[in-house]
Amino acid sequence: MKPLNLIALLFFLGSAVWAFTLSDRGVREMQDLYFSAMSPFLKSGSKLETQARAFMNETRHSKSLEKELAAFQGEMGRLRVIESRFRDLERENLQLRHALDFKKATHFDVVAAQVIRRQPTTWWQTIDIDAGQERGVGTQLAVLSNEGLVGKIDRIYTGQNRSSVLLLTDEKCQVSARVEGSPEVGILCGQRAFDENPLLKLKFLSTEAALRKGQRVFTTGRGGTFQANILLGTVESVEKGVLDSEALVRPSVNFANLGTVFVVLSADP
Amino acid sequence: MIRYSLITILLLLASFVLQQFLPAFTAVHHSRILFVQLVFLCAAVTVELPTMLLLAFIGGFFWDAHCALGPHTGDPDIYTQPVESLRFGYSILLFGAMGFLMQGIQPLFKQGKWQFSALLSGISIFLYLMAEYAIITFVRGEFSISRSTLRQMAFTSLLTMLFSPLIFWLLFSIAKICNHSIHPEAGKKRHRPH
Repeated sequence: MKPLNLIALLFFLGSAVWAFTLSDRGVREMQDLYFSAMSPFLKSGSKLETQARAFMNETRHSKSLEKELAAFQGEMGRLRVIESRFRDLERENLQLRHALDFKKATHFDVVAAQVIRRQPTTWWQTIDIDAGQERGVGTQLAVLSNEGLVGKIDRIYTGQNRSSVLLLTDEKCQVSARVEGSPEVGILCGQRAFDENPLLKLKFLSTEAALRKGQRVFTTGRGGTFQANILLGTVESVEKGVLDSEALVRPSVNFANLGTVFVVLSADP
Repeated sequence: MIRYSLITILLLLASFVLQQFLPAFTAVHHSRILFVQLVFLCAAVTVELPTMLLLAFIGGFFWDAHCALGPHTGDPDIYTQPVESLRFGYSILLFGAMGFLMQGIQPLFKQGKWQFSALLSGISIFLYLMAEYAIITFVRGEFSISRSTLRQMAFTSLLTMLFSPLIFWLLFSIAKICNHSIHPEAGKKRHRPH
């Protein structure tokens, strides 16, 4: 090997070792630098993707959208009736609280955001949303949709009013979960394989877990990231092992069709 | 040659910008066009080893900055077995390995047979994705590979490879502007007196 090539190879290996030994903070700083340099292109890229998706959806589903609109209008009417009933109950609840001098303060603050980019990397299940630091969003906050838990904030793009959400379908997103109507608790996470309809894995259940298909799975509120009682999905099947059991869970959220999501800024546990 | 090398570095950096405009094709098994890797692979076969290694470092470093996930958080008493992620910097070595593979067929490229390099770029991308997946599997344990993952890798490689003639054309044009011959033996053959 030529001496120049050998020197270049040694430099290359040395630089690779330096990159490997960067601390988490160092990596985040590098990423901040990278994304601030890419900021104008990220915005244009997301805009283009959103427009393309909207165009495709419009051309492909115009008839089905009409049907959906009619169904939504019906559903909205039904929900209005429920809402008025809910307001009555809320008022009644407030009066009873006053009567009992019940001092528990309920606090649930969310920020609505639009999905502006889907799956920007090859292997990780993430989306980008148009809410960032400016609107009070920080890392590790829970993200919900009207169907249930979507994931958690993984990265904030500094100064760009956007952030990246690690989806519940990613293997790295772990949630402490319980099964409704049973004492079973476990850790729910995504699976490695990509699929059109991904199933989640509920691990560390007891060996005699008596679960049936259709039972709902909720967050326990333990572990420090997700609030309690957020719907995660429904049990699809259970596989019993020697040491523990595992269940496959169908997520309640349709991840292929995410539009508006809500970031939970603060909430009572 | 220095001018050509500098322009290839700029081209690689520009490919990161273009990558922002290329979403995943959900209808084609979530495949995508890996433009950064393609530019690197095509450039790697046209330059000397030190420049290739520099390109591999830049490509791998920025690719990891683009993709790396945040550290796992949460109560360790609840999440007793956090899922490991890939360490920042692994792509540098993968880019380097792919670059060496491309340099292996440099003699063919220098004879003017760039088509082999175009084909190899597709194979290299498939190997790159396989290696990346294998590392994830190794770090996280429990080897599993589904048909959908294989299809995703195959279609990503194929889609990306389709653009390699365009990149080679761009590199030839740049070389011409810089008065630098990237396949000198082909040039020698053309100018040989009959």
